[in-house]
Amino acid sequence: MRLSLEHIVPIPLKEKINEYNSRVWNQQLTFNSGERVFIQAPSGTGKTTLVHFLYGLRKDYEGKIHWSAFKMHEINREQLSQLRASSVSVIFQDMRLFPELTTWENIEVKRRLTNTVSEYDAEKWLDRLGVKHKADSPASKLSYGEQQRVAIVRALVQPFEWLIMDEPFSHLDYANRQRAIALIDEVATMNRAGLLLADLDDNDYFTYSRKLLL
Amino acid sequence: MKPLKQSRLVQKLLLRHRSNNRLWAALIALFAGTTLLLVAVMIWWNFNLILSGTHDNDSLGSTFLTIGKQVTDQSMGKKGASLFTPKEISTIENAPQVQDVGMLVSNRFPVYASLSVANGFSTDMFLEAVPDRFMDKQPNGWSWEEGNTQVPIILSSDFLNLYNYGFALSQNLPQLSQTTIQALAFDITIGRGLYTEQYTGRVVGFSDRISSVLVPQSFIEHGNKTFAPNVPVAPSRLILQVKDPSDKRFAEFLQMNGYTTNAEQLRWNKMRGVVDAVATGTGILALLLMGIGTLVFILFIELTIAKAEASLSLLLQMGYSPRYLGMFMLRRFVPLIVITLMASAIIALILQEVIAAKGNALNVTLPDLPGWPVWVALAASAGVLLAFVSRSIFKAINQEQ
Repeated sequence: MRLSLEHIVPIPLKEKINEYNSRVWNQQLTFNSGERVFIQAPSGTGKTTLVHFLYGLRKDYEGKIHWSAFKMHEINREQLSQLRASSVSVIFQDMRLFPELTTWENIEVKRRLTNTVSEYDAEKWLDRLGVKHKADSPASKLSYGEQQRVAIVRALVQPFEWLIMDEPFSHLDYANRQRAIALIDEVATMNRAGLLLADLDDNDYFTYSRKLLL
Repeated sequence: MKPLKQSRLVQKLLLRHRSNNRLWAALIALFAGTTLLLVAVMIWWNFNLILSGTHDNDSLGSTFLTIGKQVTDQSMGKKGASLFTPKEISTIENAPQVQDVGMLVSNRFPVYASLSVANGFSTDMFLEAVPDRFMDKQPNGWSWEEGNTQVPIILSSDFLNLYNYGFALSQNLPQLSQTTIQALAFDITIGRGLYTEQYTGRVVGFSDRISSVLVPQSFIEHGNKTFAPNVPVAPSRLILQVKDPSDKRFAEFLQMNGYTTNAEQLRWNKMRGVVDAVATGTGILALLLMGIGTLVFILFIELTIAKAEASLSLLLQMGYSPRYLGMFMLRRFVPLIVITLMASAIIALILQEVIAAKGNALNVTLPDLPGWPVWVALAASAGVLLAFVSRSIFKAINQEQ
């Protein structure tokens, strides 16, 4: 699945982005399937806004976003849900777990949507990230670090051609981050999926094919 | 770890804020509204059945009326003034609500009856005949052909009542049952002077519908042809089959032309007004209650969705489709609506059974099961309700991000 950005300009940041030389905003960009892209975005440059545009959560922009045949400015709600369920997965900066569900229920509510990942794999991945023992704990009782690891596993228990990540390791220590990177790398490779990671500072978590400054 | 059922997880997220008190209030209002609506339709439908006579409710006199011309001071002396002309008959045939017109033809020859067992009791009398399709009863032996010496007679039940409760009591005579009367044989002499014919008359039945002494039409025709060949056979009374005698236009037609009928037979006219008012009042109340019930139910659904807004929004972000979530909600609420409507239908079934039983006691035949208008009303209210509920569910879900 190819991702194309045609001169995207967020309306609320329209004035501001003219003041600096963005490599993403108002540019013509195409990302081929399987690419690993890093977008470095200093505070206030619209990192989360971009993620929300790509995932179809916001539409207050000029320009066009295409996920292969899906045109985000024309997409209807049913097509958008289809895109999210089987082609594009996301790890939100603010995790967005269901606080009233347990860790395992949070995973299951996503895994059951497509049933493409076995519960054995999901359980194994929780174990690899060190949160299996929290399976029956309500998400609201988990620490930020634990929530982030659950959110990572949840993003992986669906088929995806692209994984969008918004500061995915911000609450993780080095060891947990390495384990999460290894798991994401492995599952993305298995899916032959592209990665798009947006973060504040430069990093080499993955072998990026492109690094862009927002 | 155990795999979990998707629907249970979604239910936990979307329906955990459900307020059962509000749900019960909505369902009770819906039940009351639907039941009242069905009751209103049943009142209207049952009464219509009685009026249109589809269930042979002849004893009410609601479908068959006997009319004659009013005898006034002016018409009293005129011979033939009370007879109906062919033109008048054709006008009556086209009158509002009239389905069929039959002529009550009376004898134009003298009839003399005597009862040998009753100490030579004898009297002059009259006979009438109507086409068989207007008879409420056609007992065995109800036919006559030339050469038969036996003449079957159907007597009005009113005459027997007059005798039993009026004449017999006042004259200290024995009261007679229907079977006793039927066992008696009359000697009937018709004709005058030298040329007479003798017959044996036997009462074979009693009519609630026609106040007369009826013999088969062929007998009257034979007598009139034989003894009064030159007298025109015009009817003095007509029997009408009327679809709805309570129709004001029909009553006005009778009044305008100076025709009389048993006023009691038009009692439905007033009754119809009362029933219409009751059915309309109940109907309006039912629609109001149904409206309130539907509103409370929809508000309940919208409130449930609003309370689960965060979960709903996140489910959509996960990739759950609005259609799946809408159908999920609909599947949870539709059975409640169906059960409520079924409870109303059961009440309607029981009520119709009771109405039919009560009707039977009053000699009114009504079906044991509610008719199609009741089911149509139920289906229509179910359709409207489901349309409103599904619209409100999908509208609320589509408002989410």
